Amino acid sequence: MDNLNIEGTKQTPEIDFDAASGILKISGRSIPENTFEFFNPVLLWLDSYAAEAPEKVIAKINLEYFNTSSSKYILEVLKRLKNILHDGKDVLVQWYYEEDDEEMMETGEDYEDVSGLPFEIIAVEED
Amino acid sequence: MNTYEKFRKMMDNHIMLSFKGEITSDIINMVLQIMETRLDAVAEKGSVRKKIFNVLVECMQNLYHHSEPEVPGQIHTRRAMLELSFNEDYYFILTGNYIKNKEIKRLKERIDRVNSLSKEELRKYYREILDNNRISDKGGADLGMIDMARKSGQKLDYNFTEVNDELSFFDLTVKVAKKK
Repeated sequence: MDNLNIEGTKQTPEIDFDAASGILKISGRSIPENTFEFFNPVLLWLDSYAAEAPEKVIAKINLEYFNTSSSKYILEVLKRLKNILHDGKDVLVQWYYEEDDEEMMETGEDYEDVSGLPFEIIAVEED
Repeated sequence: MNTYEKFRKMMDNHIMLSFKGEITSDIINMVLQIMETRLDAVAEKGSVRKKIFNVLVECMQNLYHHSEPEVPGQIHTRRAMLELSFNEDYYFILTGNYIKNKEIKRLKERIDRVNSLSKEELRKYYREILDNNRISDKGGADLGMIDMARKSGQKLDYNFTEVNDELSFFDLTVKVAKKK
């Protein structure tokens, strides 16, 4: 299966999904006005990935900002990962936040709670 | 008021940016860019800066998605306003846009509900809506107001001014506390 690589912009995050290694990275900011347009290909990729995922999948989510319309789609991404978990694969979400960004940490906890996936919430130092 | 007086007034009120017109995708990007520069200039960084950004993005996208045109059916008359300012204690993000009178009740109820909730209740409500709501066609999914209240940690201040039988002007001020 092909990897999914989408370059980041001022409004949309960088997507770096490596099919074979199972490392799925989302980073940057996600504040587009039309969230569907951006996330739909990402969700479609994950749909096909379910059948081909390796034994261990790690999603590394490192977002600086995202708007509330992206927040629904992030949950959709996590739901796709949940399906992979249900297929008996090992799935881990690593949620990164800048150390003084309490909201982003809490948001990670919110997603952990709502998705029911195993999460690691990781503080990183600010640039 | 002559121009100098206008200028003085903007200075005294610490207006960082003021805009009136249609909110397009390009305008949103430009405002965010200007604000990055302005916040650099006042050396605001870290969590306060992020809060301002988050609130600003939500506010502008509300204007982008929900402004009603001044003249029914004429999209280019979706005029709105945006003003960013500060005082000793807070940053203020003020937006104003037209809204249909018949939509006031629902919007008012939503904001009042958000304002009535504590920090923990807001968080619970956010999780509930995130989990249950379908994505609305305008993308807002009702999370915007909750998110602004959470990020700002302040009550949302709003007014409706009736314009005519169809329309009112809705203004919303969100405050973000400066770091002490």
